[in-house]
Amino acid sequence: MCSPMRNIIIGIFFLCCSLTKLQAQYAGYKPVADMNAFKTQFAAAAQKMQTITADFVQEKNLGMLSEKINSRGKFFFKKENLVRMEYTDPFKYLVIINNNTVYVKDGQKENRISAKSNKLFQQINRMMVDCVQGTALSNPDFKVMVFESGTAYLVELSPVAKGMKTYFKNIHVILSKKDYSVNKLEMYEQSGDNTLISFLNKEMNASIADALFIIK
Amino acid sequence: MTACSSVYRGMTRTEADASCLLTFKPIFTRALYNTQVDVVGKHLSGLLLLKQMPDSSTRLVFSNEMGFKYFDFEFSASGEFKVWYILPQMDKKAVKTTLRKDFALLLMQHLDMKKSFLLKKDGLFYYGFPQSKGNNYYITDSTCSQLIRVERASRRKPVVTAVMQHYKDGMPDTIGISHANFNFTIGLKKLKQ
Repeated sequence: MCSPMRNIIIGIFFLCCSLTKLQAQYAGYKPVADMNAFKTQFAAAAQKMQTITADFVQEKNLGMLSEKINSRGKFFFKKENLVRMEYTDPFKYLVIINNNTVYVKDGQKENRISAKSNKLFQQINRMMVDCVQGTALSNPDFKVMVFESGTAYLVELSPVAKGMKTYFKNIHVILSKKDYSVNKLEMYEQSGDNTLISFLNKEMNASIADALFIIK
Repeated sequence: MTACSSVYRGMTRTEADASCLLTFKPIFTRALYNTQVDVVGKHLSGLLLLKQMPDSSTRLVFSNEMGFKYFDFEFSASGEFKVWYILPQMDKKAVKTTLRKDFALLLMQHLDMKKSFLLKKDGLFYYGFPQSKGNNYYITDSTCSQLIRVERASRRKPVVTAVMQHYKDGMPDTIGISHANFNFTIGLKKLKQ
């Protein structure tokens, strides 16, 4: 092969490699320029956030089966560590996180799970609370990278803790640039499946009765 | 000896054409079931997705309501069983064998009609299919127009009793599995989507 041709081929090869590398950093997003400024603003916004009320839409994608399982419901968060996720359609399911206790009620039974007794559940539980509360950035269970687009931040959480790592490849938290609230939670599994939860009709700092988080 | 006597003993045994059972063989093109599992005092709930794949295999994926996966099983068209995923805490041979046998009983793949036999008792027809240990029984009314229940049995007594009820588009609306030897039940209710 003549050498200019070879150089072109090598050039194309390297170009392709660098393009692949760029694509790996999420289309439409670039790394956040000033991480410290982001952290400060995020912490300040989280400080102001006392409650969140929202509708949520959950989409579970089973890659190999080309299947989607959709569900929806109501989401409530109250500082410091109170979460209520109430699935209403197509099934009824209620999860209440009250500090370290997780209460679950399905169509038939009520279950109280001490998050302490189930490490993976505890980690998922903490991650969810951390995401809405804004403390995800300092969670030692994850390596954190932050990217930004014109309207949103993408916080990439890569698990380092063993239990989480065997199940999740990484978790993306998409934050609104306007108020740093969570637009979407994307959980990517090692298996290729993923669970996407979008938060819609968000209302911040509305009064929410404590009774919603009481575990009977 | 009486303690060892079989509940199936004394039933009239005849040769029979079991092909009428094929009308009860579920066709899970795609179905999502609300699922309740009770196992030795523990309760699990979630969603079971059953789907027939392009290669005619059937996949069973069980996850909790929040999307957290417990297992992903495959029964190939030729009846082979494959575990694509199982939660490490559940990854025990006894668990996998029990679930494989329970679901195989319901999927009704590869019923060997030539080896089947028929027992009759109290107006019910027991269509028996010999297994490596014991038999599987599909129990119908005398005209084989209704599947009353299904039993996975040792030589003497049922080990697992299952029901599949209210078929629509080839898929039962309600499925129940109950083990006799230990406290283990599975309840499935098809979700309307």
